[in-house]
Amino acid sequence: MGIKVDFRKRYYRKKSDKKKGIEPAFLLDAKFEVGNELVVLFGRSGSGKTTTLQCISGLLEPNGGKIVVNDKVYFDCHQMINLPVQQRSLGYVFQNYALFPHMDVKKNIAYGLKGWSEEDRDKRVLEMLQLLHIEGLEDNYPSQLSGGQKQRVALARALAPKPDILLLDEPFSALDMIVRMKLREKIKQIQRELGIPVLFITHNHVEAFTIADKVVIFHEGRVQQTGTPEDVFYYPQNSHVAELVGMTNIFEDAIVGNEDTATGTVLLLKDTLHVSVMQQKLKAGAKVAWGIRPENVHILSVKDGTGTQEENVFRASVKSIVNKGASKLIYFDIEQHHTLLIAETSNQSFEEMRLETGDVCMVKLDKHKIAVF
Amino acid sequence: MQSQIWFPLVITLKISIISTILVATLGLIISYILARRDFRGKWLAEILVTLPLVLPPTVTGYLLVVLLGKNGFLGNILYNITGWTILFTWQAAVIAAFIVSIPLMVKTTTAAIEAVDRDFEYAAFTLGRKELETALFITLPLAKKGILAGIVLSFARAVGEFGATLMIAGNIPGRTNTMAISIYSSFQAGNNELANMLVIILVAMSFLSMAVTAKLVDRWRI
Repeated sequence: MGIKVDFRKRYYRKKSDKKKGIEPAFLLDAKFEVGNELVVLFGRSGSGKTTTLQCISGLLEPNGGKIVVNDKVYFDCHQMINLPVQQRSLGYVFQNYALFPHMDVKKNIAYGLKGWSEEDRDKRVLEMLQLLHIEGLEDNYPSQLSGGQKQRVALARALAPKPDILLLDEPFSALDMIVRMKLREKIKQIQRELGIPVLFITHNHVEAFTIADKVVIFHEGRVQQTGTPEDVFYYPQNSHVAELVGMTNIFEDAIVGNEDTATGTVLLLKDTLHVSVMQQKLKAGAKVAWGIRPENVHILSVKDGTGTQEENVFRASVKSIVNKGASKLIYFDIEQHHTLLIAETSNQSFEEMRLETGDVCMVKLDKHKIAVF
Repeated sequence: MQSQIWFPLVITLKISIISTILVATLGLIISYILARRDFRGKWLAEILVTLPLVLPPTVTGYLLVVLLGKNGFLGNILYNITGWTILFTWQAAVIAAFIVSIPLMVKTTTAAIEAVDRDFEYAAFTLGRKELETALFITLPLAKKGILAGIVLSFARAVGEFGATLMIAGNIPGRTNTMAISIYSSFQAGNNELANMLVIILVAMSFLSMAVTAKLVDRWRI
């Protein structure tokens, strides 16, 4: 069960480029395998997320490869299988909802119930209205609905024919925070109830982290990493993923030192900047990059220069402070090495520290939270 | 006097209505294909279907005579089979009206179909609907304002058709003298009274068809 995807899709700037053998302007190489769970496709715009969804749905035809959903072959270029969209049994929610403007809510929801008896259809529409808490709206036209209501109707329409898989293309991007949060919960609940794979596109960190069972990270047409939110957010496999998930402190070109078997740690060296990290099968002498999320940079003490010998503790001066609303970002300059280090701290502990620009303090990098790639 | 008004009015309506039905049907199919399909030589098809709009009606008429006359390519086949020639009949006037008005239908309707967001069609596909069903129940209803505009323009153009009709159907009293042609011939004959009456009726008809359409479109939600 689940989804097995391994296909390529080429885009050319001009049609004639393909014949002339000119390299495609964009190449999507999508490869991932997930179960019947809530999967977030995460990446910048233009990284291939929507194209992936369209290839899985059959609205686009890949140039090669294979797509299998719940043991049903949707596409296989070797066996010459390309199931038409209509036979893939899927629910698709579009970014702009794509509710039929000339039909009322009831007709929209019933549109996929072709061949059902009128009685069954009415029953199913009612079930969907109840599931998404939009009873009473059935006679309204899409133009009379709010954004959140439209999204609920779009979901009801997609789910009504009991699809084998649900695809959502940035479904909440036009909604306000509170509506978003409610709908996220709804999607999660629906996935748990139906047990079908749900693919959900977003470029919003918080959304990806709060909703996903699995995250698939896209960068420039390639899948970089597939894993649980914890995996990809705290242990990105490369610097592209690290940047995408908001790991703002990335240090390239460090050399791996010898392992300290007593503590299970290993030293990473770059010039005079030495950090110890938990041993992750690193080979001594290898060149690696490492990173740490800003919330895992701890500010130890203010205006105090002691303790620099301690592991992963550095003397740093405050360059600037950015208010993020719920928290503060502090831009540090690590004194010895003149490198930028960003820390994130709650408003409360920031108040207690009374930090100001120009202050010097000690910062500690949590060695358990340092990712090496 | 009464029959001098009545006959041109009836024959004009007959020709225009039949022509418009044909234009609407064929125009819809051509427009859908032009708006939604990619094929080799599409640019040529677009030009061919627009050409009658920019050619002088006399040229269109002349080409039709060449094609449909007794010695013309199609006319010859028709004559050999049936012994009948279409020239100087009201059916010929229908063909003239059809050819000059189809560009208006296709241009307007193609633009209207292209303006329909493809996501609506994709949504219908994902809900299990085939392309024909989707075209009939999603795309065309959403383009109906443009389609109606195309039909009304085509009808108005057919009612006012003069040049090509004169060349292919002539001006045979009691057979092919449409309103536009009757106005010309009564004016030439100095019968201003008849010309005035016909002009008033023609203007009123055109005005009315536009006004009714505008009101109808106003009441449509989409």
